[in-house]
Amino acid sequence: MNVSSRRYSTAVVLQVSGRLDQDTCDAFRGQLMGHVDSAAREAGAVVLDLSALEYVSSAGLRCFMLASRQAKAQHGRIFVAQLQPMVAEIFQISHFNLVFQVFPTVREALGAVSAEAAAAYEKA
Amino acid sequence: MLLAALSIALAASLPLVRGLRLAVFDGYQRLFPLERTTTVVTIVAIDEASIARYGQWPWPRTRVAELVGRIGEYGSASIGFDIFFPEPDRFSPAAIAAELPVVPTELAHSLALLPSNDEVLARSIRGHHVVLGIASGAPDPRFPAPPRAPPIAMPAEGLPDIDSLPGHIGNVPVISAAAESRGLMDAGPESEVVRQVPMVRRVQGALVASLGVETLRVAEDAGLKLEPARGGLINLRLGDHATTIQEDGTAWLRMGPHDPQRFVSALDVMERRVNPELLNGRAVLLGIDGIGVQDYKTTPLGEFVPGVEIHAQVIENLFGGVKLVRPAYASLMEAGALAACGLLLIVLLPRMSALQGTHLAFAMVLLLTGSGLVAFLYFDTLLDPAGPAIGTLAVFASVMVGTLSEAERQRRQLREQAARMAGEVDAARRIQMGLLPDPHAALGHDPRYGIAALLEPARTVGGDFYDFFMVDERRLFFVVADVSGKGLPAALFMAAVKSNLKGAALRGGSVGEILTRAQAQIALENPEQLFVTVFAGLLDLDSGHLEYANAGHEPPFSRLERGVPERFGSSGGPPLCVIEDFVFPTQGRTLAAGEWLCVVTDGATEAMNESGAFFSSERLRASLTWVGKDATPDEVMARVRDDVARFVGQAEIADDITLLVLRWKGGQEAAPSER
Repeated sequence: MNVSSRRYSTAVVLQVSGRLDQDTCDAFRGQLMGHVDSAAREAGAVVLDLSALEYVSSAGLRCFMLASRQAKAQHGRIFVAQLQPMVAEIFQISHFNLVFQVFPTVREALGAVSAEAAAAYEKA
Repeated sequence: MLLAALSIALAASLPLVRGLRLAVFDGYQRLFPLERTTTVVTIVAIDEASIARYGQWPWPRTRVAELVGRIGEYGSASIGFDIFFPEPDRFSPAAIAAELPVVPTELAHSLALLPSNDEVLARSIRGHHVVLGIASGAPDPRFPAPPRAPPIAMPAEGLPDIDSLPGHIGNVPVISAAAESRGLMDAGPESEVVRQVPMVRRVQGALVASLGVETLRVAEDAGLKLEPARGGLINLRLGDHATTIQEDGTAWLRMGPHDPQRFVSALDVMERRVNPELLNGRAVLLGIDGIGVQDYKTTPLGEFVPGVEIHAQVIENLFGGVKLVRPAYASLMEAGALAACGLLLIVLLPRMSALQGTHLAFAMVLLLTGSGLVAFLYFDTLLDPAGPAIGTLAVFASVMVGTLSEAERQRRQLREQAARMAGEVDAARRIQMGLLPDPHAALGHDPRYGIAALLEPARTVGGDFYDFFMVDERRLFFVVADVSGKGLPAALFMAAVKSNLKGAALRGGSVGEILTRAQAQIALENPEQLFVTVFAGLLDLDSGHLEYANAGHEPPFSRLERGVPERFGSSGGPPLCVIEDFVFPTQGRTLAAGEWLCVVTDGATEAMNESGAFFSSERLRASLTWVGKDATPDEVMARVRDDVARFVGQAEIADDITLLVLRWKGGQEAAPSER
């Protein structure tokens, strides 16, 4: 599991790659919480780019859920974009699209954050 | 504590420490014996050859007088006697006359008129700068007066620590009167290695120098002066020469090996066969060196030498400016070194490996020994490394023992922790497995349906469970669930979920309502923020109508007796406790007689083989396709279990695997026609 971050205006795009399971979820949770925290403070948003995420276990889903709760408590926002088929199926079965707003592409997710973020993404 | 105790012990010089210290000091002397560089003193020895020629010792004093005369002829600067004459000579003519039983009166009278041997010796001594030997000790009635000695210059405040003795044994008055001076023959206690010798002593109140010091002083015709020095010591000045001695008037001798070059035979002197250079202008010591003579001493070099040679070495030390001192602060320095080494060990050892610690301790011992040697060689100071080294090793040993027992304690803790963890895992598993109903025992033989269930726990217990029970005469409630977590928290949460679901199910309502109601209860007791996926169903055993709700769970498969497996849709809601106010929808369908369902947890579909591939719902579908048309629920379950096991192979099962197979055989009316 690997996380890399990119900033577009007030949005931080976290690209998560590999497998998110019992072994990796603690490390992921630490990083995600940090970004959610700082995004909430500057009224920004975190976009999870899951195009390279191969698999997410129930422990991984719990991470997403806890991040969502924290974001909600801090009035921050998390969007999810570009799910691979396997992860998409897991999201579908577990109805996590009710937890996060899911977008087909990062571009669309950034559009939902703000026009500036989308513009910054276009320019990059 | 130990360190403090050792420091105090060192300062107090316990016998053991003292013994070791002396052994180390002797070691220094043996490693670096003093080379003889001065020839200021020569010993005239009354040796075996002299005794063979002139008869047994003591000789008549006329013979001694003759010897003194010969030495004087060679031009000696002074003669120190390491022999003494406390009684009148019994070979004196008058004494012989008195001794003999029959002596003519005339002869006796004329013998009595001859000068006594003592007078002869006294005459010989006079003018030859003789220093007579005296021995200090207990009071002796023959010598009530303090020995006459030339004054020694002293500081006004005096030197109160100098050894003081109440009496002495000197020489008969006639001889004593003829001598220029007197010196102490004392050379430390009998039967002990001679390390420290008195240089000056107070005898009956008079300050007297040792034979060696006084013989050199007379030879040099100089004055003797004492003054206080640093470290509680005393500086001793003799003309141009100076040395430093201990506060009690003794000096640590820096020893050279026994050297025959120091000696000339009294016989050779008598017969005038000596190289004149050996005596001319030198300080001469007259002593006895013969077998059977008592006055032999052991030196720190381990040699057994005539006592007179010790006096010669005193003179050589003094003349050559060689000194060796042990100042008052030496013990403090040693205690300080021990405290420093000990503290360093106590601080550093616990942070080092055992090997590094051992190296450190040995480096310290080497450093201490080295410092002692450097002090000996370059600062003429006796510092004792043995006490601090032993203390350091003792501290090392006790800290090591402490560290080892600490390590042992930690190992034990780890073992206990591992045992506790194993116990926790076991407890979690017992909770989990103990809550599961036995399909065969729980429901008896209802002809309307068959059920089989399996839970294969993973090594670190997930929170899977299944459950089924009749909510009324017609309807069977069944559930398969998977808690998102592991260990005891998951097991306890699973127990709460299971009982809340059962409670909710028994209160009636649709399956969706049951889940919604259970979620509200469970959310109240979920401190770990776990969630649980649930597939729950309510089967009307008479009509075959199935009502179900899915909370984020893997959709089950169903299969008609002669059909292919068909996967349920994924409609439903998120797992319980993800969105806590979610209202779960209920779905329904009617089963055909003989149709069965297979509900699994993702432990089955996501079981991984060694290359990291999932068993997947597609393999599950294939597995279910190959089941025979009249397979019992047990057979279906076994088929899936075996296929998963074969797929996983040697890989470790990461998550609990749960299977539940339920077959509806038909309503009550149809039951008799069922096989």
